[in-house]
Amino acid sequence: MKIKMFTAFLVLLACGLGLIVLADNHEEEENNKLVFPKAYTTMKVSDGGKITGVVKFEGEVPKMKKLDINKDKVVCGKTDKYDESVVVGESMELKNTIVYLMDITKGKDFDAKANKPEIDQEGCKFTPHVQIVPVGVRLTMLNNAPITHNVHIFLNDADMGQDINKQQNRMLKKLRIKSIAEAGGPVEVKCDIHSWMKAWIAYVPHPYFAVTDEKGEFTLEDVPPGTYKLGYWHEACGTNNKEPQAVTVTAGGEVKQDFTLKLAE
Amino acid sequence: MKRISLFTICFVIFIASWVFLRFVVGGFISVPIPSSVIAMYMALIFVAILVHVSVEDTRFSEFIRPIHETLVDENRKTRRIVLAVLIPILMLGYTYTNIAQKAIPAGDPRVAHPVPPSEFILTYKEKEIGTMQEVENPYRHYEKDSPEEFKSHIENGRRVYYDNCFYCHGDHLDGQGHLAHGFQPLPANFQDPGIIPNFQEAFFFWRISKGGPGLPNNGTPWNSAMPVWEEILTEEEIWDVILFLSHYTGYSYRPSGEAH
Amino acid sequence: MRVTFFVLFLLFSSLFTVILVAYAQETPEVSERGKEVYEESCAHCHGIEGRGDGSAAENLLPRPRDFTGGVYKIRSTESGQLPTDQDLFDIITNGMPGSSMPEWESALSANDRWELVAYVKTFYSGFQELEETETTPRLINLTGKVKYSEKSVEIGKVLYTDLGCIECHGNVGRGDGTSAPTLVDVWDFRTWPANLTQGWTFRGGSSTEDIFKRFIGGIAGSPMPAFEGDTFYHFGLTPEESKNFALLEKKVENEEELTEEEQEEYDKLYEKWDTTVLAALDRAEGTELTPEAQKIYDNAMKDVFEKSWHLANYVKSLSPERRPKSAIGKNVLRSQYKEGDLPTLDDAEWGTLTSSYYPLVGQVIVESRQFNPTIDSVNVKSFYNDTEVAFLFTWDDRTNNTTVEETEDFGTSYIDGLAIQFPVKVPKGPTDEKPYFLWGGKKPVYLWQWMASEPESIKELTAKGINNAEEQEDQGTVQVNSEYKDGQYRLWVKRALKTEDKKDLQIEPTVFVPIAFSAWDGANGDVDTKRGISSWYTFVLEPVPSSRRFIYPPIVALLSLGLLVGLRQFVQRRNT
Repeated sequence: MKIKMFTAFLVLLACGLGLIVLADNHEEEENNKLVFPKAYTTMKVSDGGKITGVVKFEGEVPKMKKLDINKDKVVCGKTDKYDESVVVGESMELKNTIVYLMDITKGKDFDAKANKPEIDQEGCKFTPHVQIVPVGVRLTMLNNAPITHNVHIFLNDADMGQDINKQQNRMLKKLRIKSIAEAGGPVEVKCDIHSWMKAWIAYVPHPYFAVTDEKGEFTLEDVPPGTYKLGYWHEACGTNNKEPQAVTVTAGGEVKQDFTLKLAE
Repeated sequence: MKRISLFTICFVIFIASWVFLRFVVGGFISVPIPSSVIAMYMALIFVAILVHVSVEDTRFSEFIRPIHETLVDENRKTRRIVLAVLIPILMLGYTYTNIAQKAIPAGDPRVAHPVPPSEFILTYKEKEIGTMQEVENPYRHYEKDSPEEFKSHIENGRRVYYDNCFYCHGDHLDGQGHLAHGFQPLPANFQDPGIIPNFQEAFFFWRISKGGPGLPNNGTPWNSAMPVWEEILTEEEIWDVILFLSHYTGYSYRPSGEAH
Repeated sequence: MRVTFFVLFLLFSSLFTVILVAYAQETPEVSERGKEVYEESCAHCHGIEGRGDGSAAENLLPRPRDFTGGVYKIRSTESGQLPTDQDLFDIITNGMPGSSMPEWESALSANDRWELVAYVKTFYSGFQELEETETTPRLINLTGKVKYSEKSVEIGKVLYTDLGCIECHGNVGRGDGTSAPTLVDVWDFRTWPANLTQGWTFRGGSSTEDIFKRFIGGIAGSPMPAFEGDTFYHFGLTPEESKNFALLEKKVENEEELTEEEQEEYDKLYEKWDTTVLAALDRAEGTELTPEAQKIYDNAMKDVFEKSWHLANYVKSLSPERRPKSAIGKNVLRSQYKEGDLPTLDDAEWGTLTSSYYPLVGQVIVESRQFNPTIDSVNVKSFYNDTEVAFLFTWDDRTNNTTVEETEDFGTSYIDGLAIQFPVKVPKGPTDEKPYFLWGGKKPVYLWQWMASEPESIKELTAKGINNAEEQEDQGTVQVNSEYKDGQYRLWVKRALKTEDKKDLQIEPTVFVPIAFSAWDGANGDVDTKRGISSWYTFVLEPVPSSRRFIYPPIVALLSLGLLVGLRQFVQRRNT
């Protein structure tokens, strides 16, 4: 008799759990996005520590595909262009990875440089390939060549409202893009006119974000002492949202934390 | 008040009849009537008028009096001159337009829904199903027996329709699908009250399974874009889509066994 | 024991209910009638859950809209805004020309259509948020419309190039811009820029207002951007100021020294331009503008709106009011008689004829089928003389595909082509059997097949079915010339009226000959049976207008006059 009841209990429990899982199964899609603290307050950081590291790639390096420059060849085709979704250096250093603090709630404010984000379209290529844009700050698109582009930011993919799509005709050297009030992303930015032009924009609420350079290096400075979750995002390798790396920063100290990333399945 | 002359009355009746035939019947009420048919009617009306006026001598003389006056009366000189100019000009224009008119190709004398012979054997591919008179939709009985089962057949029919038919026959089953404008003859309009109620389900099965190429010659099979659906759909899918057509439009098919 | 079990059961069922209720609350109140109508009339394309994934969706392009993302192409609202209820109602009512969305005015009552609007909105939470915050989407300002005039069209034409419309829509608007072959929408499906010369295919309607709205508000989800104020050159400056500022900018760029006056002017104009752009950005971000900024913005927008109306007028000028009448009945293809040599491809004489319009639709009869053809129609003109007949076939195709290519994003691209079909033997009278319209059947058809890979040659084919065509052994002397320019093919074909080959059609004046077309757009995956097709139409060598038309009518007129005179004399004689 006891066994019977126990079984019934188990069956019902399973049903209940199943339902709960059913009720919030959209966590899955959030895995390719950045994680932000619920709130962030700024303060002066005088005794902050430093987090540095190198992001490396593991596995067979995908060949960087040469892009088909099928338009405006005189300007756009001056130099060969390659798909930048996986850029790996000589000793497997991985470029264009965002490394950031997921759960920091108090820290420094954005500096002047961070508050003037720009993406250059020189040679019909977005530079940088991954751009960090603080929330509430306007992004400037530069265009020095007499070429017409359109700036198409896919906000809707990240549930950040309607997409932005503005023409930057050949006479507009600068085009400012409206700011976004809520953090989110990274979202893709494309130029439909030149279909090979693709880049990423992350709208972030605090300045503890870094993008790795050619050497795969990143630095987060002025981090208030404490233990944080260190996250990364890479367009082809995904994120560590499920298992963030814990780091402990001491006053004035430096923490080294390297990552090794594989292509996402 | 001056009495309106008999001639004027007859003249007005004649012209009014023409206007009625040409524009009222052949425009507002129905499609334009061929000019040869109109000419026939007009000849009839002309004869009728002549008969009417020539029954009595007095009436006839009253009828021709205005003509007579116009021709010879000194007081009617202006009218005479106007007519002498007008009539030749009208004849000139009429002859010219007739000669210069471009020939129009004869339309296909197509029977839209040719009736198969009564002993016609309905088949799916090579398989015989029965005579056109007797065959019933094998799933129709679920309508009474098992509404659940019937609904699932309707839903399957709906799927079949929107996967295959609506490109031409339209979302509303009115023959105005987004490809319809490119086809001659136009796709059938199932919302037309003359279509579904006039035919048995077996007839629809025949038309769907054999498509355009299966038509007899009086249905101009060479013009029809209707595919041979038995090559694509299963027998059940065809019967289901037939159920869906009547479900959506609200029309019932002619019961089987009744002669057309 | 039983009791414990029962209690446990109760506990769990209540938990179950709580979760269900909590889950159900996420979805807003559902209009029962709307749901019913939706599931009966819309779900087969748009999907039960509004994801645009109904069973019919697979074969349709553009795809049925996915309602869950809140992305709506056809709006009367500004960029970044949701559509109004009226927008949704209008789309349901009128349908979307050029797509598979039909009008529902004839099938659903106005009430049902409004219920549908309410139901469709439940698929996207953004609509509910609007309601909760009591905000309404910002409408595009339609005041100050510039009347259609040749001058306005001229100004619009210049803007068309300056603003970069040509990148996608091409030099003359046939949707053949250099970016056209690479475009995808946000759902990752291939999409083509509108052919602006075919107004009857504009999804959101082809009135000047419709065009204006698409331009200002953009087409969300597609590559078509929104042309808001700050995307215009020197937004906020008058043409005069803009000219001055450009000169000064150039000097600064070349690092030339500015005089004090110039520097002052530069600073002033920069400030004016910058303030206007900032006002536009504030507005876009949802910040309330100060009355001053609002005034600056409104002033600047006057100029932008005026330009936009000019552009809309230009686009409007590119296409006829509605789809031309197809060449049936009186409207058949009539080849005109001409003495002496027939005009060649570039002869201006073709301009004296009006062309006959043959609509093409997808070949959906035999596998493999084409459900989404991209070639709308073929337009044809023809001349003949005593021994030859010449045709000029014109059709729009956004790309010139001359080879088979593997593309990365869009599969294989094939070769463009056109086939002109006649029966081998002209049917004697209307009851005589014709060959099957799809490349023949029991009775054969005679074909001219032209492929863009060999633009200077054409093949004579005999076919007894769409999969049963062979090249004639005896390739006669069919002359051909062709040109591809600005998204349009022009194909010129000339042949002798009579040939020796028994498999050829023999052409005689005044005899009505069936004619039909097949067209392949290689970029759209057209190859073999996958193509655009037409029904049988009719072609005739129009008889030379006879000189009788100048002789008989005067004779008849004279006769009738004589008759009248005779009648008068007869009556007069009888009277005396």
